[in-house]
Amino acid sequence: MQCKDLEFVLESEGLGPLPVEAREHLAGCSACQGYLADLNSIVLAAKTLPAEVTPPDRIWISLRARLEAEGLIKEPILVPEPSSWWQNFSAWLRPRTLATATAGLALLAITVFVTRTSYQSHPNPGSQQPVTTVSRPAESSLPVPAPTSPVVPVSPKLSADNSVPGPRPSKVKELAPSPSEAASLALNIAERDVPDMELAGNSQVDASLRQNLRTLNEFIAECEQHLKKNPQDQLAREYLYTAYQQKADLLAAMMENGRSEH
Amino acid sequence: MCSSIVIPGTTLGAIRRIRTTSGAATGQLARQRPPQPVAWTEAEAIRLAQAGNAAAFEFLYRLHGRRVYALCLRMVGNPADAEDLMQEAFLQLYRKIGTFRGESAFSTWLHRMTVNVVLMRLRKKSLPTDSLEETLEPDSENSGPKRDVGAPDLRLSGAVDRVNLERSIEKLPPGYRTVFVLHDVQGYEHNEIADIMRCSVGNSKSQLHKARTRLRELLQEEIRDQAREERKAAKTQSGSLD
Repeated sequence: MQCKDLEFVLESEGLGPLPVEAREHLAGCSACQGYLADLNSIVLAAKTLPAEVTPPDRIWISLRARLEAEGLIKEPILVPEPSSWWQNFSAWLRPRTLATATAGLALLAITVFVTRTSYQSHPNPGSQQPVTTVSRPAESSLPVPAPTSPVVPVSPKLSADNSVPGPRPSKVKELAPSPSEAASLALNIAERDVPDMELAGNSQVDASLRQNLRTLNEFIAECEQHLKKNPQDQLAREYLYTAYQQKADLLAAMMENGRSEH
Repeated sequence: MCSSIVIPGTTLGAIRRIRTTSGAATGQLARQRPPQPVAWTEAEAIRLAQAGNAAAFEFLYRLHGRRVYALCLRMVGNPADAEDLMQEAFLQLYRKIGTFRGESAFSTWLHRMTVNVVLMRLRKKSLPTDSLEETLEPDSENSGPKRDVGAPDLRLSGAVDRVNLERSIEKLPPGYRTVFVLHDVQGYEHNEIADIMRCSVGNSKSQLHKARTRLRELLQEEIRDQAREERKAAKTQSGSLD
């Protein structure tokens, strides 16, 4: 066997076990030995290169947008059947509709919460904290009282204090449910109807949506607990805000896709 | 998968851990990681994607995206182009997913599409030094790298590292590069590569051998260049000392 014959064997058989003749040639040819050793070291080095690389998230976001733009994503569209005015009215009163509205209002409450939080974090130096402008947006935006939702504790002393005319900023603040509590309240109302819904017409997807909701709830509870202990922790507050916002988004998406069984 | 930042013993640590764990990242949950069914098989996801189900599209993307991205990255050598190509490949995939009948493996089909998209892009760029046809044509007597049989060579053993290998891979002609990356980096077998590249198994083997031989030459050049640079630097340094 000649060197060029060995090359032909390597081309057709690869670097695996070589035929006897090829091995005999290799034993006596240092050039071919070096050649084979080099190829082996290249293959070994190539195996150290990653076969998988995690792509940036923006690719999927952009891809999804293009899929939607091209109409490749076909989400099921529910066509409402024609109904009489009283049916429409009763449909409006269905919990799902109310819940959707509540989720929207929760978003509003969160927005106010963030605005207020950032205002409190960076107060304007030289100006007094305006007492009368402490807003209660979520409270006023809630259409129905929530019996299952957390109640903000109000001590009798504070109630009495509140009856005294004149500005008492800290007490008034304590009396009102904070925007974060109001947001939580609104989201809880919205969430009440989710268990009864068939969300995506697919039990696995439904389960997954609910699992996501559970994860978010756990995270929110953890944030709230942490904030009770460390009210000044801005990072935790920011996480909580993000979680509220995401929960509102998730609930809104669930309700939009869902078909109420009521 | 999990890039956790944990501050042990603190609640905040737990919060951060949740936020940065990709599987349950609440920080990305609603927008970037929409719910995915855990129990889908690839076949189920394909069927649902054929019906236009967004979650199934994402499921398939997450299942194969990392391999496709690695291939694109290795083929074009820069992340911006790789992102663009990956998106294009998946877009083509989803446009044609309705025609997928399962005659070949889904991953093969996807990789074929990716390779086509990448090679098309490289052909458009048409680097004057690399002729794509040269490497995609079946073997001929004159094609491929040559080895001076029996001539003394610079030995590579111990000198090949990731950096100079990656640099040399980028210099390979696209056809060689594709086969080399698919086989030696991504671990595909010749029959799969033949399916992806729509060529014979023999052609795939031949292309791979030529790719390796060409890489050897490129690596030798790299090592020679490095040695030359080092000598020049040493000379400059000794000159400045005198």
